[in-house]
Amino acid sequence: MADALIEAHGLTKTYGSFRALKGLDLRVMPSEIYGLLGPNGAGKTTTLRITAGLIEPTAGSVVVSGFDATKDPLHAKARIGYVAEIPILYESLTPRELLDFECSVRALATEPVNRKAHQLAEAFEVTSAFDTPIATLSMGTKQKIAIIAALIHQPPVLLLDEPLNSLDARSSRILKELLSLHVQRGGAVLFSTHVMEIAQRLCSRIGIIFDGRIVAEGDLNQLRARAGAKDATLEEVFMKLTNEASEVENTMRMLRESFFVDEDR
Amino acid sequence: MKTADAWRLSAITYSEMAFKSILQNSSNMWWGSFGRGSSEAPGHEDLVKRALRIARFDKFIITAFVIVAAGAPFLPQALGASYGISASVTLSLAVSFALVVLYGVQTLSSFVTSGPSPVLSTLPLMRKDVSLVNLFSFVRTGDYLVVGSVACQVFFVLLVTGSALSGLFMLLAGAMNSVMGVGVALWLSSVFYRSILGSKQGKLGGVMRLALLLAWGVVVLGIGVLFAAAGYLIPLVQSVLASPNTLTGSILSLVYPFSLGISVGSVAHGVALSLVEGVALGATVGYLLVAVAVSRWSMISVSSFPEGSSISTGGGRVHDTSVSLHGPVAAYSLKDLRAASANLPSAFLFTLPAFETLVILLIRAFLPTLGASTILVAMTLGGIVSLILPLVLVSSEGGGFDFAKTLPLRMRTIVFSKALMTTVVFLPAAAVVYGESLLKPLTSPSSILIPLASILAVAAASLLEVRLFLGFAPRGRVTFALQEFARMAAGAGAVLLPAAIYVAVYVLTFNHALAAGVMVVASSAEVLATTEFVRQS
Repeated sequence: MADALIEAHGLTKTYGSFRALKGLDLRVMPSEIYGLLGPNGAGKTTTLRITAGLIEPTAGSVVVSGFDATKDPLHAKARIGYVAEIPILYESLTPRELLDFECSVRALATEPVNRKAHQLAEAFEVTSAFDTPIATLSMGTKQKIAIIAALIHQPPVLLLDEPLNSLDARSSRILKELLSLHVQRGGAVLFSTHVMEIAQRLCSRIGIIFDGRIVAEGDLNQLRARAGAKDATLEEVFMKLTNEASEVENTMRMLRESFFVDEDR
Repeated sequence: MKTADAWRLSAITYSEMAFKSILQNSSNMWWGSFGRGSSEAPGHEDLVKRALRIARFDKFIITAFVIVAAGAPFLPQALGASYGISASVTLSLAVSFALVVLYGVQTLSSFVTSGPSPVLSTLPLMRKDVSLVNLFSFVRTGDYLVVGSVACQVFFVLLVTGSALSGLFMLLAGAMNSVMGVGVALWLSSVFYRSILGSKQGKLGGVMRLALLLAWGVVVLGIGVLFAAAGYLIPLVQSVLASPNTLTGSILSLVYPFSLGISVGSVAHGVALSLVEGVALGATVGYLLVAVAVSRWSMISVSSFPEGSSISTGGGRVHDTSVSLHGPVAAYSLKDLRAASANLPSAFLFTLPAFETLVILLIRAFLPTLGASTILVAMTLGGIVSLILPLVLVSSEGGGFDFAKTLPLRMRTIVFSKALMTTVVFLPAAAVVYGESLLKPLTSPSSILIPLASILAVAAASLLEVRLFLGFAPRGRVTFALQEFARMAAGAGAVLLPAAIYVAVYVLTFNHALAAGVMVVASSAEVLATTEFVRQS
């Protein structure tokens, strides 16, 4: 069995008195798109930020391509492409200046970088924005620039935090195709989303994260079996495994009474 | 919407605008790093907290400074000086104008990029109501500053002259001056952020950026020179203005804000008008019309912001997507230069050490030779001024620093790059001294080594300062300010130490050559020690 490209053990992160992660474990294998599915505040972004080396865990460890993300961050980061939920970029730079900076720091070779930059810029239709300060670009264009910056060095590991949020249909399709090609070449993707349809269609394995822990993982059939809900959709499985079904029902009852009652009666 | 409601609502939109401007120009937050919550380079949450804090206090601090600056030129008369007040009024108006422009450009940046509150446009409000709220937000930008400085000027004019009419003229002159200042700030912000940030970065953008940078520098240095030379300038200008019917006086009386100053002074003495005063009063009427036009333009511009972002990102297809690659340290320095120069105030800081050195040399321009002490003072002060830059470079990382954190970068690469940038920015200061040495004979040939030693000292100081700023965890809120002062003091100490060694060696031996040699050795040792300190981190 091949070694995991991402391996997290007992990942814990506390912010003051709040525990965002409570001993999370996960493994992402080569040629796998692993979907981290969970409600807002479940710990998806924290998991990705620790793996990307942006923050340090309070306890536990993450190993990326054989390198500990905390103890050997340089080697780990060289093998990661990261796209944040809200693009993190130097907004006063232009996309060209940002790529100058990134590719220089990554010590990439000029010719392949220029070829890839051109192809990716054409694919995501951002060539016209190449010399425009990032601060003035739309959210979707910023997201595309962040994606190009994550892909340009062709890392084995991609960490994508809700990457499709601001993308148009064409760019979403291109990104999904690129991710398929990436995993066909043996790469791994750790992908966070709260959109069930995306997780169901795109991911080879799904980890349901809830309250700082992975409460269930596997492909859709394994999750259905775990939830004891044969033929259920991913949304139904998710609701069952996270015990949110009854909460949603209660909330909807309250909303129906508040918003959809004829006040003239 | 009632006017009172619009005024109340504008308090919220103004606060949001000031907050966004500070956040947008994160390099302005270097002074706000006092008391920040992390010794790591700031994360987004930290930046937001600091921006909020600065937005709240910035206006009060600047207002206090403007009031002091507007009142200071009147002190000679308030303390009993016998000459008239025209020059004092002129200086006070010039300084308050410049400060209103400086503050306005900083605060109005988000106003011209996205309007005071795009959210307003989504609410069920009439367009004219949104315009009114925008207008009031704009008025709030300078309300304390304008009221404070004008009240201070009127107070001193009344105190010195005892003439109610002079006070009334001062009120009018102060109001005109403020309207012009805010108008110029709005225009500068529009030009800078629309034409440069909002469009393609081409040669024209570069030229505009340079032109605005120089204009900014002239304003900032102008304030410094006015203050530094006020003691000479006020009596000198006053004597020119007091001589009736001179050509120089007549020309000055046409120039803003001399016209206003002479007009206020002429009303104070209450005798028949001289030619100079008559010309000044005529010019003042002209400037009044200009001020009315500026206020109308400002109101129309501000009211039009509800139409949405005033930035146009341009269209045109770019065929060349090639990138230019460098070594990591050079790439980081280049990134810093690009990021910081996109912001007018921080861009000017790149030229400050050279300007500072030039000012010191100009102050001693009357001396026939270039002495070692002049060089030592000029280079040391230039060096200390240059130590603002590492703080600005750290602060201007802003939220983008998270991007850098995802890259395989060592801490020392970042430290070396910022120190390199600071040292390169200091080089023109040495060039100014070497240039001066070509024009004037040196009292001691060996003093030519002093700039070299200063460059090494600045390199060492910036290495130390950046490393300390990026490196150590704070120990509780109370010690934040002390820690940050200690970090800056460490940098300043590294610049001062070789200079102090020079002085000590010279006092002991009266040998400039030996003192300069020991200074070079000391600063070289500092570079080696700080480099090793950074490498081990």
